[in-house]
Amino acid sequence: MRLLLDRFPEIVSDLWTDEDTVEVQVPRDRVVDTLRTLRDDGDFGFFLLADAAAVDYGPRNWFEVVYHLYSDRHPGWLRIRVRVDRQDPRTPTVTDLWEGAMFHEREMYDMMGIVFEGNRDLRRIYMSPDYKSFPQRKDFLLPDDAADSAAAGVNPLERPETWQLDRFQQSAAPAVAIPAAESQSVEAGKTMASETRPR
Amino acid sequence: MTAVDPEVRIPDPLDTERDDEARLRAAAGLDLPRAAGRAEYAGFETVGLPDRPPQTERERQLFTLDEGEMLVNMGPQHPSTHGVMRLLVKVRGEVITDIDPVLGYLHRGIEKLCENATYTTVLTYVDPMDYLSAMHNEHAPAIAFEKLYGIEVPRRAEYIRALVVELNRVFSHGLMMGFLALDMGGLTPILYGFINRDEVVDLLSAISGQRMLFNFFRVGGVNWDVNDEFLSRLGKWRSHVLDNIAMNERLLTENEIFRARTRGMGILDGRRAVQLGVTGPNLRASGVPFDVRRAHPYSIYPELEFEVITQQTGDVYARYLQRIAEIKQSIRLIDQIVDRMPHGPVQAQVPGIIRPRPGRAYAAIESPRGLYSVYAISDGSATPYRFRMRDPSFISLQALPTLMPGHLIADTMAIMASFDPVMGGVDK
Repeated sequence: MRLLLDRFPEIVSDLWTDEDTVEVQVPRDRVVDTLRTLRDDGDFGFFLLADAAAVDYGPRNWFEVVYHLYSDRHPGWLRIRVRVDRQDPRTPTVTDLWEGAMFHEREMYDMMGIVFEGNRDLRRIYMSPDYKSFPQRKDFLLPDDAADSAAAGVNPLERPETWQLDRFQQSAAPAVAIPAAESQSVEAGKTMASETRPR
Repeated sequence: MTAVDPEVRIPDPLDTERDDEARLRAAAGLDLPRAAGRAEYAGFETVGLPDRPPQTERERQLFTLDEGEMLVNMGPQHPSTHGVMRLLVKVRGEVITDIDPVLGYLHRGIEKLCENATYTTVLTYVDPMDYLSAMHNEHAPAIAFEKLYGIEVPRRAEYIRALVVELNRVFSHGLMMGFLALDMGGLTPILYGFINRDEVVDLLSAISGQRMLFNFFRVGGVNWDVNDEFLSRLGKWRSHVLDNIAMNERLLTENEIFRARTRGMGILDGRRAVQLGVTGPNLRASGVPFDVRRAHPYSIYPELEFEVITQQTGDVYARYLQRIAEIKQSIRLIDQIVDRMPHGPVQAQVPGIIRPRPGRAYAAIESPRGLYSVYAISDGSATPYRFRMRDPSFISLQALPTLMPGHLIADTMAIMASFDPVMGGVDK
């Protein structure tokens, strides 16, 4: 962890650690350099890309691409978080460093709609090639939840063309805007019983 | 050269409103050239070029056929694809020149479902992912949620977890040996594989009540303590399991045909395997001693003795031998666990609806197919904000396009079965 701060003083921010993970945030344009150093430098030796995942921080905020690295020279996992603009979700690919990142990036593109610049094979991997929305975004509602939620009747920003969501419009539900994820989390402690009942 | 027009623009991936010019062209009768001839034989079927422009460079390369090359479709219901996976195979004669796995036929969106379920019910959703190792599927989320919530698991619960997980590993590996032989035309070993598996499955159903999707783990412990039926079955199984393995070994390991079909085939070297993200027995068969139980110990594995076995050759035969060696190590672990199991509760005090503080947790375990990890984010509510699973067989499939070229079509099944993918996990 000290090593990280010494070697990347200007890049690394938001250092955080728990019992077995060290977490840092890296700006988008420096991620490939940083990961290459972490992989090739003898002091670090993070040879294995354990996981690469995308997180959607709500409709008005940002995406995050999260890399988990493993090294046999350090006891914990290293988590690299890269923030990606939600309006223009583009970030450089790491398939040049690990070929195995290909399926990770294809999945992130398919599920979240993040474009990895330089990736040779950025296709949909689970959904069919003519599918047009990105199912794991937070503004993509499942049909059950759309019927349940206060936002029933509002067209989600992204919606699958196969589901007839407009039938919900016929029920006289009030048109309420989808609350941002942040405000949900703040209020969660107060109105837990009504909002987050187990489905 | 039958080729996709190289001038066709590769569209921007984010441009979801793009006009599908190929459809317009097809409607106007200007269909793209199709591969000549259409023959069906034993599940294979030649495929035409798709009636849309290539979306990526790789797709353009795949759909560009040289003289004498042909695209052949394997699956999605081919018996040797271990579920529903489709392989687009480019062949020259009977030699494979390129291969592209097409996934998603079993995609259920489990991650999304889990993000809409409470922490307790997530453990039931992940069961049908990798359906041959359901115990492992539950283990990683349980560890992640315990980290998020800060629960200490009782010692006895940890021992029972390790016990059922190792039992699960035994039958998963044992079944792989049978499937490997089955895919190469040997019909007998799979029967023995299922006999052995059913014994273990009956064991696990004695402790959990289910045969395949156990739903045994709870956040903070396990559902049931070990009972008399489980222990008596375990003793009976343990008394003859090594004989059964020895019999399987006599059946396959020294089998002349089996060795001729598997040795020197699909060689994956260690550096390349790490590059490709291959983990688990497949990586260790290539000589890299990476085992999460040792590399980043979890549960009670630091207290137990076992060897991380590696093979040197990295071919199909090595991957098979690796499985046998790991079964023996698992049985060694089971013996130690049963010997040392402490008394005490099997479930920590946990509220009915779990609401961890906002935070992030990452948990990785060694499943029979490799590094299986969960990344969970809590926002303080009763459902995980983000629930991400890394399935090892999904990532290991990337090795296929690098291993297959140069082999015969008949060898694709041996190579694929040696990686032991489970489509439920691949497609999530």
